[in-house]
Amino acid sequence: MKTFGSLAAVALGAAVGLLSGCGSTAVNSVEPAQSSAQRAMLSDKCVFNDRSLAKAVRVLGINTATDQGGFLKIQIEVQNTTRSRKLFTYRIEWFDEHGILISLPTTVATPRSLEGRDLADITATAPTAKAKDFRIQFLEPVS
Amino acid sequence: MKSTLTSAALAATALIVGCSSPKTTYVEPGSSRLVTNVDQINIQDFAQAADTMVNSLIDNLINPGQLKSGVPDQPALLAISRIQNNTGTQLDTDLLVKKMRVALLRTGKVQTSTTIAYGGAEDPLMAEEEKNNQFFNDKPKRRPDYTLSGKIIEDRTRAGNVRQSAFVFQLSLSSRDGIGVWEDEKTIVKQGSRPTVGF
Repeated sequence: MKTFGSLAAVALGAAVGLLSGCGSTAVNSVEPAQSSAQRAMLSDKCVFNDRSLAKAVRVLGINTATDQGGFLKIQIEVQNTTRSRKLFTYRIEWFDEHGILISLPTTVATPRSLEGRDLADITATAPTAKAKDFRIQFLEPVS
Repeated sequence: MKSTLTSAALAATALIVGCSSPKTTYVEPGSSRLVTNVDQINIQDFAQAADTMVNSLIDNLINPGQLKSGVPDQPALLAISRIQNNTGTQLDTDLLVKKMRVALLRTGKVQTSTTIAYGGAEDPLMAEEEKNNQFFNDKPKRRPDYTLSGKIIEDRTRAGNVRQSAFVFQLSLSSRDGIGVWEDEKTIVKQGSRPTVGF
């Protein structure tokens, strides 16, 4: 009877291990301890209307740069704080120096997926040198 | 008892009518509510590819100041060459190219010729006018500084119930010397268990 009990425990453990192995898609990563790149990090203002998405996909920082042509470049570092794959879309809107939205036919809600605990950098370049400001919106995919 | 039941039935009906969505609605083309199919390139895929390509052009050619114009102080002139559709579906490549043209024009660094293009002028009337102008005024026609060519390729595969379609957008910008001064590729991969899925 005791043997049966231990066998059942081993089987249960194996099943749990197998299930968690299949479900978990967490990512391991490595990078230099001292980064040689100089980042100009921007303080951000977040408005969370979708708490669950904000909790799952966290913005770690926003890095900006302007090259010689005067086009603003942005890089948003995001992390999936959950242990499973997360689907989301993001949309970047650009504004001129007066805060007026620059409308373009290429504005799109770009789909993105992140494996568990994965980090990703979303990069974008302003469509015109007139763009001085931006807003990034994160949305849950709608099925 | 009867009045309570009637009230409950009315409330339930109101709730159902109130919650049921209309059959047809307008959606923003840049929203995440657009219909997505595994088997075909959707409108948002073209926008995504165009956005990536324009970003790449700005980053690699326009922003570093490598885009050269044949006429000083004028934007570079671009002509659209062949954009080949190698997918199994008939599609209008202007869904990609026009978006890029609009975005490139907004940069202030690029203009597109409407009279010089692969397969014929986009604006035939202006092409005629240009011919007349050349003939009567002996004014040389401005030649394009760059041409844009490319290909859209499709790859489909299936494993069990999971269907996968990959759409590859390849674009090249050639200078007057016939040298590819910019090239990029954007791959959009879609998976689904049914032919139609939402994202």
